[in-house]
Amino acid sequence: MPTRKRSSGSFGMQLKNLIPGWQAASRLRGGFDITLLMLVLILLSLGLLMVLSSSYPRAYSQALASESGSALDYFNHQLMFAIAGVVIMYAASWVPMSFYRQSNRLVYGFAAVMLLLVLVMGTAENNARRWISLGPLSFQPSEITKLAIILVFADLIAKYRARMETIQYGVIPFAIALGIPIVLLFFEPHISCILIISLIGLTMMVIGGMPRRYFFIGLGIVAALGTLAFFVSTHVHVRILAWLFPSQYADDDITYQVRESLMAIGSGGLTGLGPGEGRQKYLYLPESHNDYIFSIVCEELGLIGAAAIILLLALMLLRCTQITLHTQDRFSFLVAAGITAHFGLQTLLNIAVVTNSLPCTGVSLPFFSYGGTALLMQLLEMGILLSISREAPLTRAG
Amino acid sequence: MAVQPTGRASTQRADNTMISRTRWIFLVCGIAAFILLLGRLGYLMIFKQDYYEQQAIQQTVVRQNVLALRGTILDSNGKILAKSATKDTVILSPADIVKNDWDLDGIARVLADNLADYGVTYEQVMSLAQDQDSYYKIVARKVDRSDTEPIREYKNANKGCNGIVLSPDSKRYYPYGDLAAHVLGYVGIDNDGLAGIESQYDNVLAGGMGRVTRLSDKSSIGMLNIKYEDYTKETAGADVKVTLDANIQYYLEKNLKQAVEDYDILNGAAAIAMDPHTGAIKGMVSLGNFDPNDYQALTEDTEARLEETIEDGVVEEEDEEGNPVKTRKYTDKEIEELRTDAMFRQWRNKALSDTYEPGSTFKIITLAMALEEGVVSEDTHFFCGGSTEVLGRTTPLNCWRTAGHGDQTLTQAVQHSCNVAFVDIGQRVGARTFYRYCDAFGFLNLTQDADATLTARTGVDLAGESGSIWWSQNTFFNPENLSQLASASFGQTFTVTPLQMITAISACVNGGYLMKPYVVQEITDASGRIVESNEPTVVRQVVSEETSAEVRKILEQVVSDPVDGTGHNAYVAGYRIGGKTGTSEKVAQDAAGGPKEYIVSFAGVAPADDPRLVILVLLDTPSSETGMYISGGQMGAPTVAGMFADILPYLGVEPQYTAAEKQFMDQVVPNITGMTVEEATNLLAQRGFNVRVLGEGGRVTRQLPGTGAMIATGSAVLLYTDVEPSEDLEEMPDLSYLTYRDARDVLAGMGLFVTTSSSVTSPETQSVLSQNIPEGTEVEHGTVVKVTLVTTDSSMLGQY
Repeated sequence: MPTRKRSSGSFGMQLKNLIPGWQAASRLRGGFDITLLMLVLILLSLGLLMVLSSSYPRAYSQALASESGSALDYFNHQLMFAIAGVVIMYAASWVPMSFYRQSNRLVYGFAAVMLLLVLVMGTAENNARRWISLGPLSFQPSEITKLAIILVFADLIAKYRARMETIQYGVIPFAIALGIPIVLLFFEPHISCILIISLIGLTMMVIGGMPRRYFFIGLGIVAALGTLAFFVSTHVHVRILAWLFPSQYADDDITYQVRESLMAIGSGGLTGLGPGEGRQKYLYLPESHNDYIFSIVCEELGLIGAAAIILLLALMLLRCTQITLHTQDRFSFLVAAGITAHFGLQTLLNIAVVTNSLPCTGVSLPFFSYGGTALLMQLLEMGILLSISREAPLTRAG
Repeated sequence: MAVQPTGRASTQRADNTMISRTRWIFLVCGIAAFILLLGRLGYLMIFKQDYYEQQAIQQTVVRQNVLALRGTILDSNGKILAKSATKDTVILSPADIVKNDWDLDGIARVLADNLADYGVTYEQVMSLAQDQDSYYKIVARKVDRSDTEPIREYKNANKGCNGIVLSPDSKRYYPYGDLAAHVLGYVGIDNDGLAGIESQYDNVLAGGMGRVTRLSDKSSIGMLNIKYEDYTKETAGADVKVTLDANIQYYLEKNLKQAVEDYDILNGAAAIAMDPHTGAIKGMVSLGNFDPNDYQALTEDTEARLEETIEDGVVEEEDEEGNPVKTRKYTDKEIEELRTDAMFRQWRNKALSDTYEPGSTFKIITLAMALEEGVVSEDTHFFCGGSTEVLGRTTPLNCWRTAGHGDQTLTQAVQHSCNVAFVDIGQRVGARTFYRYCDAFGFLNLTQDADATLTARTGVDLAGESGSIWWSQNTFFNPENLSQLASASFGQTFTVTPLQMITAISACVNGGYLMKPYVVQEITDASGRIVESNEPTVVRQVVSEETSAEVRKILEQVVSDPVDGTGHNAYVAGYRIGGKTGTSEKVAQDAAGGPKEYIVSFAGVAPADDPRLVILVLLDTPSSETGMYISGGQMGAPTVAGMFADILPYLGVEPQYTAAEKQFMDQVVPNITGMTVEEATNLLAQRGFNVRVLGEGGRVTRQLPGTGAMIATGSAVLLYTDVEPSEDLEEMPDLSYLTYRDARDVLAGMGLFVTTSSSVTSPETQSVLSQNIPEGTEVEHGTVVKVTLVTTDSSMLGQY
């Protein structure tokens, strides 16, 4: 744990003096949490290496087919976003929490407009309209929605903390805030994102003092909605049935994907085939660089490597939880809890899906899965957490 | 950047409920969830590792067979009789086309453009592409490398387009077409030898399949190719050198085909040429044959005959109103069966797989054993009164010449092919001794079981050899019934294969040694090392050198004696030929009450004093409608003569002509154009020619026939002095049964000439059997027609 004493003569201090505004800002608040930053950077680096390993066969085959590009295309793309993301993270850590609170409706509004836009002018892939193309880049509004929900919920809960038991303040505003993106996401469709934001929202509301009866009612509503989705959306329907009865859906793409994923994981054994030595990424496992990157981690690094990475992710989440718990400010506390929940849920759901512990749904693994927008948003959220850690350093909290 | 006043923030503080709920959810639930997932991972990666890794390996490992090139078959002089060339099988992968979005239209066009010769069309490729789940649709097999080259280029130009797959295969070529087809055999579509040497030596010729085991990415675009796991190199097939001589084989086939045509042979023919000292088969033919390059096709002749049969089956009748109604005798299915039967008949090697009653050729064997046993000698006399009584027969046994041969020496008895004399010889040998010799000659194997039908095979290294059929010992040895022994003495009432027959005859003339016949001389592996070499195998000595020499001497008399020799038609001027005729009635046909059918045959040995080649010819069922006299002497002997006339000069045997032969031999017309008439007449007279001068000039300006033409001696060469030959065409007359001399003279009147492939020994008695220019053909003056001759001494006509 680095010391937080301001030794004016140190080299670090001299460096800090060169950065404009550092002096003023550091007078206001303490430095951010180095432990979390280190964990993030380690995970980000490992993630980048795994993107390189898992994506190059696909990138190579696509380059061969299109006669342009190279085997490093995915990696370079991800690297670019990682660098941009680290810059954004650092910048975000300097933004005071009051600013985030003030701009929560703006972020939410932006996310909602984008979700609407994506339905109108989004590019479709695999029967889902999830991306908005901006020249050579494309971004995914659903990723922004996650942060928007965290900020809006944190603001609402902070404001209505005392009235969470009433329907008017403790239920309706949240239902509206969550309902709009859910409807829009349903039409993309992006069921996994609906699942994630609902679970983040629910977690934040529970922490924010939601009465137990509401929690169970809410759980009942989620169950009802889930049942409805099962019957209304074939998308959901097939995935759940394929999970329950794989033999009857043996020819289905989803079943194929899960089967290939298990082959990759199982092949890993204790020590793995070695970094870069995986077989399944040679076009056998679809999305090997994306939602199923953890299968390749298992295949190449073995149980030891996979457990180490899970441990790093768990340590990061633990650190996030510590930061949450040491925050005095209610809004910041709730934002930190929301972000922690976001990372925790994605990590758990992703691993559960690739190990076929849950029905197949497209949840990416933070810092590992390929995807520019998601990575940017993850690092932005980490930046916000770092900002919170400045306001309430762990060493001072008691 | 707006900064909130700290005071307001402090009014909204995190309370204890929030803290405790956060702890509960994140720490307790979160950690529990992580532990559960770790447990799940441990289960999958440790306990299920083998299960999943096997599946992963199974789908990534690709095993590919590498075809080995089949070995070559060579004749004894190293000429290539069968050779394989690398070909491509063109495969369409509709699944890959869909998956990788290849340009199907372009693929279909490139395939149709380059594979038109293989019957591939654009529409056909498009219809194959319909099955979008398939990775393997064969478009064309055994495509030349030159034809697949543009397809290869198309693939390269289109990122290796795996919608088309080119898989190496091989095609078998038989450069001489149907030459030695039955000996060579053929290979099927999957390169398996299915008949003949191809089948018998399949494992040697095929070589060893190579195998590549490697990892592959799912799209097979070569991303994992560098990681070879295992590679077994293919071993090319070994080369097989056979004892056949392509030239001898060709001469056998040429003359046999001619015989089949000349005598209208209905049921096929066979010929074998054997080196009597080694048992090596120098040639083996069975007609009708097939072309191993296209082994399922019927030959033109067979096809025509089949059409005729089907045509004959159509009966035209009139129905009640008098309208013509065609009724077909054969249904489509029956026609298909006829076709299949014809195909199987083509494939059947008569020389090896069919047994027959050898008839009088077997007298060579009876003669050899009688001489060896000392029961007869050159001085022994036999009397033939036309028939003889045999113990056990109800009717007397007739000689082919019912008038009888009277008193004869042993040599004459053989020359005459006298059945009565041979019944006598057989009985002098005795049934038990007779069978002991048959066993020794390889015709049968004597067994313990005296009631068993007896059989034997030569053990030649060719697939499809049949066994002989002989009476059981109890029947044959019956002292109260000598009829079996009597018939067997002149080659009837048992069946043997032509190969057994020629092997035994070889033993009779080679000094008495029964050789094991063989066709493969040497096997050489791909690196040129000899892996197997067949040496001549002496099975046993059956008769002594002296007996053998005696047999040779007598057999030569059968051919050389123009008066007594029933085999005289086998005579080739300048050469010492021995031989024996054979004519056997087909018993089954006789029993069925149909018209009599015969197998005529001739066994020839040359040179008779030091045999280098034995030839056996077998003509199955000459048509009774040609008007020709059906017998081995009339049909078999001239065929063998033709073969020896071709083969002996090829083998380098020097001809020794007698004065009489020189006198009657056809002569070459010298160049006399430009000479004075007197000079020309003198020169031609020296060569045995007459002249006919046309015109009044002093010098020869044109001559017919031209320089170098071979024509009958005594022909009148046309000398033109100041006139040009007439442009008028002459109609070729029918020369059948004219003597050679008469034919010459008839043609001379028309300005035409004659020559012959037969040996001319007596132009006044030898008559024309066939002519190479059919009767009625319009020909120019000076044309030379080639004829074959037979001796038609009426006293010599008979089924011997």
